[in-house]
Amino acid sequence: MAVLNNKKSKVSDEVPTSSMADIAFLLLIFFLVTTVFPKDKGLAIVLPEESETVEVNQKNILHIVIQPSGVVEVRRGESQQVQTVSPSDIEGIWRQDVASNPNLIAGVKTHPDTPYRFMIDVLDALQTAGADKISLQLLEG
Amino acid sequence: MAIKQGGFSRKSKTSDEIPSSSLADIAFLLLIFFMVTTVFRTDSERDIIWPQAEATEKIDEKKKNILNIWVERNGSIFMNDQPYTMEQVSEVVGPLYAQSDRRLVISVRGDREVPYMTMDQLQKELVSAGVVRVVFATELEQRMTRQRR
Repeated sequence: MAVLNNKKSKVSDEVPTSSMADIAFLLLIFFLVTTVFPKDKGLAIVLPEESETVEVNQKNILHIVIQPSGVVEVRRGESQQVQTVSPSDIEGIWRQDVASNPNLIAGVKTHPDTPYRFMIDVLDALQTAGADKISLQLLEG
Repeated sequence: MAIKQGGFSRKSKTSDEIPSSSLADIAFLLLIFFMVTTVFRTDSERDIIWPQAEATEKIDEKKKNILNIWVERNGSIFMNDQPYTMEQVSEVVGPLYAQSDRRLVISVRGDREVPYMTMDQLQKELVSAGVVRVVFATELEQRMTRQRR
């Protein structure tokens, strides 16, 4: 048994630092995972100023009426002809019409009871098609 | 002062392992970096279902110049965790807009099922407060999900 006592103790007298990295990395991963990046994104639009009313030639307006069911009615300028489409079709319609009339303005009229998302769908389609002159109104009467 | 045996018998003190003692420092530095840069939101999220849009873009404005207006499904309005009525919106937003040097951007965070009536009223309130830069907050819509609908 004397041989055993002769052996030097292998226990180090220092604080073990090898696992420190693991602890730090665990914390790091925890913060990486739990960090929530805020949702600062959406569809930007500039509202008209209060006194600002601009008279627009009827010819240059693409009337878009959104009904509560999500059905979209498109009417061009002075014509009385109404075309019934779905929100995603607006993109193609705008691209087609703006090619023949660069001064085109999208007049989006939404029925008061229409869910917000249908209006967003139409706005999305218009912005995807590159429209920048958009007027948002409430459908009256 | 001659070096005995030419100094060759000494064992090299260079370890053959990758030095791992500084690993903890690196990790802690990264950790501190993330802790410092993490910005906790001033207002907590309301329970809404986001509308989706393909043309979703990041708001090009500093965070402090963005005011969130939450519109819940039942039409109730929240700003900075406080409930407000529709008529109060312009009273609250107006001074904030002046404070921000007319740089304030309103992020309208409406539930997808909110009747448009409410949204129109909100827009009118904002216009009467003088705010013209508005963002309708949306989630980015992928083409795939769109086709499935």
